[in-house]
Amino acid sequence: MRELARNPRAALRLTGGNIELWANLLVISWAVAFMLWQGVGFAITLGTVFAIWAILSVSLNLVVGFSGLLSIGHIGFFGIGAYAMAILTSDASYEQLRTEAIPTLGWPFFAALPVSVALAGLVAILVGIVFNRFRDDIYVLVSFGFAIISFNVFLNWRALTRGAFGIHEISRPEIGGWAFDGDLAFLALVVVFLAAVMLVSWFIVTSSFGRVLTAIREDEQAASVFGYRVTHYKLAIWVISAMMAGLAGGLFASWTSFIDPNSFILLESILLVSIVILGGLATIWGSLLGAMTFVLLEEGMRFLPFLPNEYVGQARQVVLGILLVLLMLFRPQGLVGRFKL
Amino acid sequence: MDRLLANPGRLLAIVLTTAVVAYIGWKVILSPEQALQFTFNGLSVGAVYALLAMGFTIVYSTVWFFDLYYGAAAALGAYGVFYLRSQEALGGQYQVNTPFVNVVFAAVVAGVVAWALHTAFYNRLRSRFSPTVLRVGGGLLSAGAGAYTGIILTYPKELHVILSPAVGLAVALAALWGLSLIYRRIIGNRGLRPFLWVAALGAVILGAYCGLLIAQAPGAKLYLSWAVSCLLAGAVGLALYRGLYMYMRQRARSPLVMLVASLGILLAITAFTTIVFQSAPRPLPEPFGSRPWSIGGATIKGFNVFTVGMALAGFFGLLLLLKRTSFGRAVRAIGDDEEVSKVVGINTTVIIAVVFFIGAVFAAMAGVLSGHDTAIQPRMGLLLLLKGWIASVVGGIGNLYGAIIGGFILGVVEQFGIWDLAGEWKDVISFVVLILFLSFWPLGLLPRK
Repeated sequence: MRELARNPRAALRLTGGNIELWANLLVISWAVAFMLWQGVGFAITLGTVFAIWAILSVSLNLVVGFSGLLSIGHIGFFGIGAYAMAILTSDASYEQLRTEAIPTLGWPFFAALPVSVALAGLVAILVGIVFNRFRDDIYVLVSFGFAIISFNVFLNWRALTRGAFGIHEISRPEIGGWAFDGDLAFLALVVVFLAAVMLVSWFIVTSSFGRVLTAIREDEQAASVFGYRVTHYKLAIWVISAMMAGLAGGLFASWTSFIDPNSFILLESILLVSIVILGGLATIWGSLLGAMTFVLLEEGMRFLPFLPNEYVGQARQVVLGILLVLLMLFRPQGLVGRFKL
Repeated sequence: MDRLLANPGRLLAIVLTTAVVAYIGWKVILSPEQALQFTFNGLSVGAVYALLAMGFTIVYSTVWFFDLYYGAAAALGAYGVFYLRSQEALGGQYQVNTPFVNVVFAAVVAGVVAWALHTAFYNRLRSRFSPTVLRVGGGLLSAGAGAYTGIILTYPKELHVILSPAVGLAVALAALWGLSLIYRRIIGNRGLRPFLWVAALGAVILGAYCGLLIAQAPGAKLYLSWAVSCLLAGAVGLALYRGLYMYMRQRARSPLVMLVASLGILLAITAFTTIVFQSAPRPLPEPFGSRPWSIGGATIKGFNVFTVGMALAGFFGLLLLLKRTSFGRAVRAIGDDEEVSKVVGINTTVIIAVVFFIGAVFAAMAGVLSGHDTAIQPRMGLLLLLKGWIASVVGGIGNLYGAIIGGFILGVVEQFGIWDLAGEWKDVISFVVLILFLSFWPLGLLPRK
């Protein structure tokens, strides 16, 4: 015991040193216990939230973990996808009742989803061309700015987004007469998309493209000496990642059926970065783990007796912030990460 | 001309700058009065940005690290004033669950005082007293400082009475320091011992008089609360460096580690502020000079002039500190080469810790001043952080002259930019300024040599 107090790393040796295994077991058993305790209905809601955050964090991990660009503006692409979905699919008959009407198109979900993905990608190309020349702390600064700018656009471009009022009545997916209006069906849809995103990401990181990205992360100059066009690679992964975030945004808008700019503030973006770092940099599985921890943290905190219910979200932010500091001190690669920041 | 054409980026930068200057000039000719109004607004906003940028710059030029805590420090400063003066702001003391927060701040202050006492006196006194005596004495003193902080935070109504001994002590010490300076410079070693005694007595009397004056002036509470909350935010900044960043700097592979850690701190403190004070915007009490003056068709509030004055005073104070004192020499030496300055015997830990303290005080002051100008909310720090950062990029990262110039330029450009657009786009304008500067003028107006 005394040895343990003097040298905390001895605790690692006691657990066989395999911190990854224990982190996995802990989070998964926590999730299972939670599901058993709270019942299936609650688990479905939780699962949908988890899947959307997981898509987001896998996509961000491609940029932060595999390419080494610490972006804290990713929530902007999420918002672009969500607003594209909202504007395209919002119920036209409902929109006509408002005083401050916006153009509504009443598209079906599956027609709007590619548009929100493509729009996020398009914006990412424009933004990426400008951002590509920056690195390290300047990159953090400009991506920070991007999050604030996209929030400002959502809030102030009232002719398109209705500003702070938000957009209601965003339609649920429907295909060939079969609607995903049940929560379970929607969860299944989101999980399918999550699986697709993971597959694509796995494909990227195991391909030669992914290996070049890792090389760029480790030493940009060396990679360019070997003849790789570094800026093209960085731009490509940035755009792919943004498109995944746009996909998550479209799903999110359709799931909540109401969005307003407050879902896309900078703090959410910082939370997203902390999820990615918490789970582990440069692992796809780690991002899932991080998103799971993030979701469970909030639900777990609801049952703390001394914490009023309206403060749960804030308390989770406090915990995540402190976790981030501790991780940076003791485990800069995150729980199951492969890349030390 | 050939060189310009060979570098299209440079050319574009010049064209853009000319366009902006021409736009502003055109606006000035079009309606000079309104232009004057926008300039006044821009200067008073720019002063806040300049204060933040100076806080960033002094830290960045020393350890090459942007401390994101300063965003939280701005919010902490503003909310400190709000909490201490909620009597005036809301008409009744704001009911928050204070004991926990008070204990946290008291602990931080106690820790900082203990560290300061240890570094300043332990080695000097070790030969005369036993270590036990020193430890117990230092512990008692720092516990006393912590308890005093707790008392200040628990009874904000009697701020002027509770703080009067501290003010008296500070005035007496400052007077003693000044007099000893005079003694050393002018009278030197030629005796005149009685002068010292008389001077010491005079300093103590002056301190006591100032303390009494403060104790009988309830109007001073607002300004005392400024000092308290800025110093508390500064103490937190110092504690963060000494307790956290120092260890990270020793073992970190990349500067991003510290940046992410400070991001975590920003997240935690912002959320914590929201828990304690709720997220609704709140007012600060009216300071002096809230009646607008009319100058040449435009109006400006006395308080805004004061804000600009504070920025200038902070700038000149920092300049004197950095260029004229041995502390400033040490700071510049560490900025040039930390290893070598360690070798020549500069206590880098102490110097850098004090630099972090100064930076956080500047950031908190910026938060307080902007809080008096507009309403405060827990998220205000994030935006102020971005603006201060942009201002220091515009002026030239790591250059003190650049920080103040960049702050004022950013403020004025922002105000002129919203002339034709609506006011809510001003963040977008400053972001565009940032991108343009980073793309075409990455070292800023006044690059650090």
